[in-house]
Amino acid sequence: MPDRIPNALTLAALDRRRFLGLAGALGTAAALAACGGPSTSGGGGAEAPTDETDWSTITPAKEITFWSSNPGSSQAVTQQLIDAFHAAQSDIKVTLVTAGANYEEIAQKFQAAQAGGDLPDVIVFSDVWWFRYKMLDSIIPLDGLVEAVGIEKDDYREGLWADYTYDDAQWAIPWARSTPLFYWNKAHWAAAGLPDRAPETWAEFTEWAPRLQAAGLGTQRAFQHPALAGYAGWSFQNVLWGWGGGWSAQESFDITCNSPESVAAIQFLQDSVYKDAWAGVASSDSVNDLTAGAASATIASTGSLVGILKAATFEVGAGPLPGGPEETSPVCPTGGAGVGIPKDIAPENQLAAATFVKFLTSPENTVTFSQATGYMPVRKSADTAAIVAAAPQVQVALDQLEVTRTQDYARVFLPGADQEMAKTCANILTSQADVQAELDALKTTLETIYTRDVEPNL
Amino acid sequence: MTTTEAPRALPPTSPTRVTATRRRRWASRRNRRDYLVFLAFAAPNLLLIALFTYRPLFSNIYYSTLNWTLGAPVATPVGLGNYVEFFTSPRTQGVLVTTAVFTVATVGGSMVLGLLVALALNKRVQGVGFARASVFSPFVLSGVGVGLVWLFIFDPVVGVLGYLLRLVGASSPQWFNDPTLSLVMVIIVFIWKNLGYAAVIYLAGLQSIDRDLLEAASIDGANARRTFFSIVLPLLSPTTFFLLVTSILNSLQAFDILRIMNPLGRGTTTLIYEAYLQAFGGSNRAGYSATVSTVLFGLLVLLTVFQLVVLERRVHYR
Repeated sequence: MPDRIPNALTLAALDRRRFLGLAGALGTAAALAACGGPSTSGGGGAEAPTDETDWSTITPAKEITFWSSNPGSSQAVTQQLIDAFHAAQSDIKVTLVTAGANYEEIAQKFQAAQAGGDLPDVIVFSDVWWFRYKMLDSIIPLDGLVEAVGIEKDDYREGLWADYTYDDAQWAIPWARSTPLFYWNKAHWAAAGLPDRAPETWAEFTEWAPRLQAAGLGTQRAFQHPALAGYAGWSFQNVLWGWGGGWSAQESFDITCNSPESVAAIQFLQDSVYKDAWAGVASSDSVNDLTAGAASATIASTGSLVGILKAATFEVGAGPLPGGPEETSPVCPTGGAGVGIPKDIAPENQLAAATFVKFLTSPENTVTFSQATGYMPVRKSADTAAIVAAAPQVQVALDQLEVTRTQDYARVFLPGADQEMAKTCANILTSQADVQAELDALKTTLETIYTRDVEPNL
Repeated sequence: MTTTEAPRALPPTSPTRVTATRRRRWASRRNRRDYLVFLAFAAPNLLLIALFTYRPLFSNIYYSTLNWTLGAPVATPVGLGNYVEFFTSPRTQGVLVTTAVFTVATVGGSMVLGLLVALALNKRVQGVGFARASVFSPFVLSGVGVGLVWLFIFDPVVGVLGYLLRLVGASSPQWFNDPTLSLVMVIIVFIWKNLGYAAVIYLAGLQSIDRDLLEAASIDGANARRTFFSIVLPLLSPTTFFLLVTSILNSLQAFDILRIMNPLGRGTTTLIYEAYLQAFGGSNRAGYSATVSTVLFGLLVLLTVFQLVVLERRVHYR
């Protein structure tokens, strides 16, 4: 055995053969590293169908996959609709794939699939994700397919349809669409002597809150703000609009989150937690806090309605969102998810996907889906009587749908903005950070995102 | 420089030379055969390691030089631009501090508590087998499952901990909404999960200590404290060194519990979680995320080399 093990990396040991071997290994590694991944020379991806694509010459694929995150615990009802699709025709078989537990997870998987292949044929994406797919050229405009398979676009609720329209093209079809609602514990309302309705304005609720707090209901706070890690940017649109502010100016990328109106709105939220102390901030899900009796009221999606009604041991009230000092209507954003079709799949699959989407969002099936989840029926001709009979609270959501407002561009079109808004709101509402300073910083961040990630792709 | 002595010349027909030639040929054939056997066993593994470890590693380093949005077919080369942004970003300082606090607390916590638990489990008492299994079991549980269970325990409204605190008239801390408490929360859970690993390794170390040494110390009048610090702890130094290396690597790569318990990462964004957030947290900056991963890789290499070169000198091997 030698006394000294030769070190392969010492200069003396690096003879010509080893040097060439090392160089070869590094070269191979570099070549391997450059294989796959994105192109740096422009182009890439398959040709998207154009307006001139003659879909009548294409035969639909026999099998397609549908990726869903099962919003509103919708796996069972979605499979039920797929089974109905199979019963109605035998040409196309659909396989439901649970591709994530929420909109973010399904988005991660879809984006990974862009690089690694194995794309779905139909995919669920939320209001904050479709635009970046459009920018990344990952999905196709659906106008040609809408025409080809006979989707009656005029029968979809205009606001919900328009949410996915950009550059005069349609990028998704509304499916699991929602709005926030004001939910309250009717027993607590009665104990505090409050009228059996949602507050019309936040000023009114500010007067009610001390009565709820003083009623000895065993709650920790009268109102529970939704968990900030989720969708703070969406939940707080209502207050921002009510105070005359917004994350950005209406239908514009002009960031206004630090305007005096926006600062006043977010200051109101901070005061509700610290100064006036009638509100708390949910750790995970404010709906759980409401149904557990820890809070008397909260704001949550219509998609939570069925879950709340099942979990609550008390009578639940649902009402429209309160107005603010500047605006009382419209102060309610739309939300939820639509379905779209990827670009880099075969036209046969795209055609089959559109045929399935037409069935999935038909007036009858949107009713079935709404009954099971609480999401909005997306078709005007949908017979909502059965839904309202089963849960009268749904009527509130249907009425409110008429006075909704499209969300601010800053939230839905700037990639990652939702997370930045959530962090800012968390700093303000849970660490009592200075409102103006936080919103000033948020503006800088949002403008950076716009300049870096959006403007070059518009 | 090395020199080799020239072999003494022998006549071509010399029997010694013929034997030497045959021996060389035989040795050469044996070497070739050994080499082929080596290749047959090692090549598949080397190929797999090259494909699934080194290829992603080099790919990641390559991606770190791109401005690439995850999912986009096209990327722009930016050279070291992502590295410049990382090392000059005010966000980075917070990430590094969180990484350091999390690593020091979890490594220190699990090792100190693991040693104490190992000392307790080293006794010959009834039920010690069950106690050892109980202590070790969290380590084999899925991090996701552990995170979900502790999520329920820590929930201030519907959680067990909040309920117990309310029974004694206290209110639950805002574990999820206060960034400092969020860090404390994930440190507690991470230590709980990994305590069993450190305890079992320490237990093995304790049981390998020669009883004669302990008896000799006792005869010499050393009390328990002196025996522990002067004999047991130095003899455990190889175990401590092994645990230090593996625990630091484990903590720097902790992800599942952080992801489940605090998805927004407020107060708990370590280097690896920052890499995740940059790629998947919303902005989908895959190139920048690769930069963070490469920095983390470099840090792991540096720490490991430092431990092997510097700290190992203080280890007492018998």
